[in-house]
Amino acid sequence: MSNQGRTRTIEEINQKIRSGDVQVLTAEEMKKLVESSGVEVAFKEVDVVTTGTFGAMCSSGAIINIGHSDPPIKIDQAWINGVEVCHPGAAVDLFIGATNMCKKQPYEYGGGHVIHDLVAGKEVEFRAMANGTDCYPRTSIKTTFTKDDINQFQLLNFRNCYQRYNCAVNSSDEIIYTYMNKLLPHLRNATFSGAGELNPLMNDPDYETIGIGTRIFLGGGPGYIIGEGTQHSPQNLDGTLMVKGDAKKMSPEFLRGASFTKYGTSLYVGLGIPIPILNEGLAKKTAIRDRDIFTNIVDYSVPRRDRPKFGKVSYEELKSGLITIKGKKVRVSSLSSIKMAKKVSQTLKSWIAEGLFTLTSPVERLPTTATFKPMRQTEEIPFVVSVMHPAVTCTEDEEIRAIAERIVTKSVNHIVVIDEVGKLLGIVTSWDITRAMAEGKTALSDIESHNVITAKPDEPLEIASKRMAQHNISALPVIDIEKKVLGIVTSEDVSRLLGR
Amino acid sequence: MKRILIRFNEKQVSEPIATEVLIEHKVPAAILSAHINSKGGEIIAEIPDESLDKIVEAFRKRGVLVTVPKLIDVDSEKCFSCGACVALCPVEAISIDNDYTVQFDKEKCVGSTCSICVDACPVRAIKSIKPNGGNHALNSKVKKI
Ligand code: SF4
Ligand code: SF4
Repeated sequence: MSNQGRTRTIEEINQKIRSGDVQVLTAEEMKKLVESSGVEVAFKEVDVVTTGTFGAMCSSGAIINIGHSDPPIKIDQAWINGVEVCHPGAAVDLFIGATNMCKKQPYEYGGGHVIHDLVAGKEVEFRAMANGTDCYPRTSIKTTFTKDDINQFQLLNFRNCYQRYNCAVNSSDEIIYTYMNKLLPHLRNATFSGAGELNPLMNDPDYETIGIGTRIFLGGGPGYIIGEGTQHSPQNLDGTLMVKGDAKKMSPEFLRGASFTKYGTSLYVGLGIPIPILNEGLAKKTAIRDRDIFTNIVDYSVPRRDRPKFGKVSYEELKSGLITIKGKKVRVSSLSSIKMAKKVSQTLKSWIAEGLFTLTSPVERLPTTATFKPMRQTEEIPFVVSVMHPAVTCTEDEEIRAIAERIVTKSVNHIVVIDEVGKLLGIVTSWDITRAMAEGKTALSDIESHNVITAKPDEPLEIASKRMAQHNISALPVIDIEKKVLGIVTSEDVSRLLGR
Repeated sequence: MKRILIRFNEKQVSEPIATEVLIEHKVPAAILSAHINSKGGEIIAEIPDESLDKIVEAFRKRGVLVTVPKLIDVDSEKCFSCGACVALCPVEAISIDNDYTVQFDKEKCVGSTCSICVDACPVRAIKSIKPNGGNHALNSKVKKI
């Protein structure tokens, strides 16, 4: 029994949805079916596969039209619950960006929370200022409203549904707070995002059925794909979507305002796409497993566009909670909710099964090739490597007197203590030496400090400079990943270049 | 195992009370955290269930405050099982079950002396509770204006 050449159309599927005969499985169920019964059977039996993802999607927002006041106002600046909203168009059209933060509660409350509160039916406080014109004389206004009081409330997200995302770690000595959340030093934890095999784009990676006009599950209501998302990079399996939907029909369960400590606010978005199984090829594609989906382990402690990588890892390993990096076991957990991603795919399945949701054919396909270009920069910014110079060094068995002489002849303030292969052991300053001589000490080990704050060669100088200020020190040995000393950067180097 | 919070005042910190009690009763206790300075301190220890009563009794006899604390409060309405907190926990008190629901083992959590997970929760569902009744102290300071 072969299905060769057999296909199914979206219209046929919609007929079945209307008559209640449609066979719909979640992506999770489909994978099991293909594994147990094979692609041919799965194609024969299944009409639609529902996918889902539920992650923090920063490029999300909402367009609102709040109606005209009397006398009318042409808004210049406006705030909802203290969060600045932008005014990109006519008098009372506003855009709530998920990452805009409330100045009074930065990092805790932002645009994502405003959207969540409105969707939940809460009343919000609105304040606006204007210049005043002949036709719009009013210069300020204060009021409150709920979603029922305003006109349009459309979720409009210009980058959602990343096909996959990095796994983040931190190799530095300090905790860092990033958009990949809290990363403990020395690779003590790892985070990842994305639903892996449940992700919509992973189940139709060639964009056969997903395109402009595709009706989707968005935030608990129906929505539409309106184009490729910003930074869409399909060949690298980093596809993204631009989507919109009526936020008045959405649910606060599937749109959550989020706070990332010391990073900012965002919006968690539940997004699911039905994949019509039009041919056997699609049945096969929707059988993709977490073990087949790989992503990079990226070191977020290096604040550069191209961060160092520690190799690749599969979503199967990521979901297991434990990965291995350079022979070390590292605990990993997700930022996006896999539980909620499943719930998205299950809810969409029930909508289709109950005849509440029919499928659409895309009116235009999304680009399957696109490059994501870096920014064109007209100014060079200095990095540590561009100002560091050779460090004056000593070894641990040297006498303080010898080191003192070196400080004088080389006229430096810092001596870096290294071992026989050039790895960093400690640091001594001219001040340590002076005091030691005054106190009659002779052994370096008495005065050397081992807790050395360092810099990496490819760090922006600005960051290294901040670190010196933060620790109230005037030099940082520059080391590589193996702790080999490459040089030293001092506060004089910084002020010479950055003029401070 | 039961977790207890032992609080010492300024006078008691200079005496080796904890060691005395544990040695006297030959109880294998695990010290989960200890924060002590000259003004007083707190120790969170795990005591085998069967020895709990006599240990608590022994400490109380010496005038030391012992409580069985609830150290963390997770708002299950808010938590949507993202998982962000899971890998951060140093004592593996947070886990993900087969259904991808995040679960807290409140008996394992060491509470406010750790609090690593608290600021990592994107919906602020986790609160660590100050075992020393911090709320009480706060109330007495707050005056109605
Ligand atoms: S407070 Fe610390 S011990 Fe308790 S659950 Fe959070 S991370 Fe784990
Ligand atoms: S970080 Fe917060 S929302 Fe996420 S699983 Fe932990 S408690 Fe729940």
